[in-house]
Amino acid sequence: MLINTGVPTREQLDRLLPSPERRARGPYAMVECFQEIPCNPCSTACPFDAILPMKDINEIPAIDLDRCTGCGICAGVCPGLAIFIIDESKKDGTATVTIPYEFRPLPEKGETVNAVNREGDVIGDATVTRVLASKRTKTPLITVEVPAELVHDVRFISLIDEQSFSDDTSSESQKSPVSHETAPKTDDEDEIIICRCEGLTLRVIRDLIREGYTTVDEIKRISRAGMGPCQARTCGPLIAAEIARMTGQQVAEIQPSAHRAPVKPLPIEFFLGGDSE
Amino acid sequence: MMYNIDLVIVGGGPAGLMAANTAAEAGAKVLLLERDGHLGGQLVKQTHKFFGSEKQHASMRGIDISTMLGERLDAFDGRVTVWTNATAIGFYEDGVITVDHDGVYKKVKPERVVVATGASEKFLSFPNNDLPGIYGAGAVQTMMNVYGIRPGHRVLMIGAGNIGLIVSYQLMQAGVSVAAIVEGLPHIGGYAVHACKVRRAGVPILTSHTILRADGTESVESATIARIDRSWNVIPGTKKTIDCDVICISVGLTPLAELLWQAGCEMRYIPSLGGSVPLRNDCLETTVKGVYVAGDVTGIEEASAAMVEGHLAGLEAAASLGFKSDNYDAERKDCMDQLAALRSGPTAEKIRSGLACAESR
Amino acid sequence: MRDRRITEHPILDFKTGEVIHFTFDGKPMEGREGDTIASALHANGVKVLGYHFITNRPRGFYCAIGNCSSCLMIVNGKSNVRTCTEPLRPGMVVETQTDRGVPDDV
Repeated sequence: MLINTGVPTREQLDRLLPSPERRARGPYAMVECFQEIPCNPCSTACPFDAILPMKDINEIPAIDLDRCTGCGICAGVCPGLAIFIIDESKKDGTATVTIPYEFRPLPEKGETVNAVNREGDVIGDATVTRVLASKRTKTPLITVEVPAELVHDVRFISLIDEQSFSDDTSSESQKSPVSHETAPKTDDEDEIIICRCEGLTLRVIRDLIREGYTTVDEIKRISRAGMGPCQARTCGPLIAAEIARMTGQQVAEIQPSAHRAPVKPLPIEFFLGGDSE
Repeated sequence: MMYNIDLVIVGGGPAGLMAANTAAEAGAKVLLLERDGHLGGQLVKQTHKFFGSEKQHASMRGIDISTMLGERLDAFDGRVTVWTNATAIGFYEDGVITVDHDGVYKKVKPERVVVATGASEKFLSFPNNDLPGIYGAGAVQTMMNVYGIRPGHRVLMIGAGNIGLIVSYQLMQAGVSVAAIVEGLPHIGGYAVHACKVRRAGVPILTSHTILRADGTESVESATIARIDRSWNVIPGTKKTIDCDVICISVGLTPLAELLWQAGCEMRYIPSLGGSVPLRNDCLETTVKGVYVAGDVTGIEEASAAMVEGHLAGLEAAASLGFKSDNYDAERKDCMDQLAALRSGPTAEKIRSGLACAESR
Repeated sequence: MRDRRITEHPILDFKTGEVIHFTFDGKPMEGREGDTIASALHANGVKVLGYHFITNRPRGFYCAIGNCSSCLMIVNGKSNVRTCTEPLRPGMVVETQTDRGVPDDV
């Protein structure tokens, strides 16, 4: 699933595919946007009204492929970089894909680059046929020629002499998304710092909670947690969560620490000085 | 001396900038306080194109929106005063706000206040979580996109929400490799399009994984991760050590609401909004009269929503002082419509349920 | 090791600011105009900004925007300077902090 892996499913992609006739006719946009998010620049930018106007900005873009000319304006404005221009109209066994590519250095026209799929794997070579760098969008559009059978898989390029970003750790898809907000269990309480300013470990905080200090302010008074220069901005939420966990309460039930001026430590002469303007 | 002014806006990020623009446009005299040396808040490091619609400058990059909104303030010369390097350090019952302005102690008494202080990054507990090289995602963005310095060579990202995904992508744009994105939940929290972007660039997204520990003598040298089950128990035999010199923590933000607590605003802890948030009415006025709020301090959302909230809060704060243009009704309705649209999709479901709990009567 | 400063970026233009000389624990170092103390140190490969006064553990910044205060150092003899937001100035004497800090006038 896309939401687990960051890679759209074949099924999702197949639904976007135009008819064989349309594909043979000339370039078209593949709008690989599968989630309702509040975003509409593709539809407002299309000069041919091919990406249909949205009543609600959360709508998934709908495209009228009879109007789409494959001009690529949408691909340059899409904040999600989710639009690709495909041209399968050449009958020589090659096809082109235009990819928004916000990296440096840019490839040059004629250069051979790695053709990369949606999982980040190199699946072949591609030849750069056009580099369109827009000053306005700052999203260069790179058109590459690939074997026609790869055009629906190639969605990224990497330069051949560049060190690849990819890594050997591979991800696998997951099932049953269930949200859970418990923190990881650990036996290394002495190495976990809760209050960075005062150098207090999880063990110190847990011992205090066990002794019966169960508000953020009580722990602050006894241990100085939250009295350092950050004024509990970093440790406050962690301490509240730990109290909640150990006492079986919701974080909302934990009395928060009192907030007093000044919000940051200042030398006393600062207040004595004052404003003479 | 005491500075008296119509409206003080605390925070010069997306919400504060919009509030200042709107209120000044309406005719109010505005003092904008910004802790940093420059305006823009977190916009200054957002190199990606924004979502939303044209009204929230969709498809513009955050950094360009920041410049545009900052420059607009210049048009109101005389009506907008900007103090940078100015931290609001206290908010007292009598309505006085104290400020550290470039090391000078100042007191301000405004008729109205818009608190747009934003958020701070959450921290995570795991062994050696304080090792140098373990940075918040915002810190990594600041280093790269503001100061132009690579935070390291190889980064392990913790958290697959929008920020974790976007910062991973930005790291690669800066020439830093990202070893993996680790996410405790079984699914990716951020927008799918962001996930697709980093996946095709070769970064694995390891859902149902957690960081067990960081190791290194003086700074991060490696991290151990493992697969977890739905109860967050480590699955035996899945431990893996990843070489990295930076671990980037992107496990969410929490509203920076200290001033609101001090002012006596009624607050409520709402997990889906990131922490304790002020109760407010549909004018974004808190339970303390004259104190308005906008942006992440009202609950963690995208910057596009923060800008619209800033617009609304600036409009309402000015209107309550009598600075009400003929457009007021239309502008107010437009803001409400924009917020409703931004929050109407399935990805905003948690935000909607959280916001419903933050309404005051 | 590649340079830590980004010279080529698809979106941003980084101006190469004037060189600023400073010292870190006595070692001469170079930063750039526009740097904070912490960013200049990072560009020089320095991640450890201090050692905690109780745990003795190495400390580095966490938030880089002035919230977390893990970046406190001694600058020109003054303790507890938030180096992640403090602009770098020519000739600064920056030192690792290992204590809570002492008032600068004692």
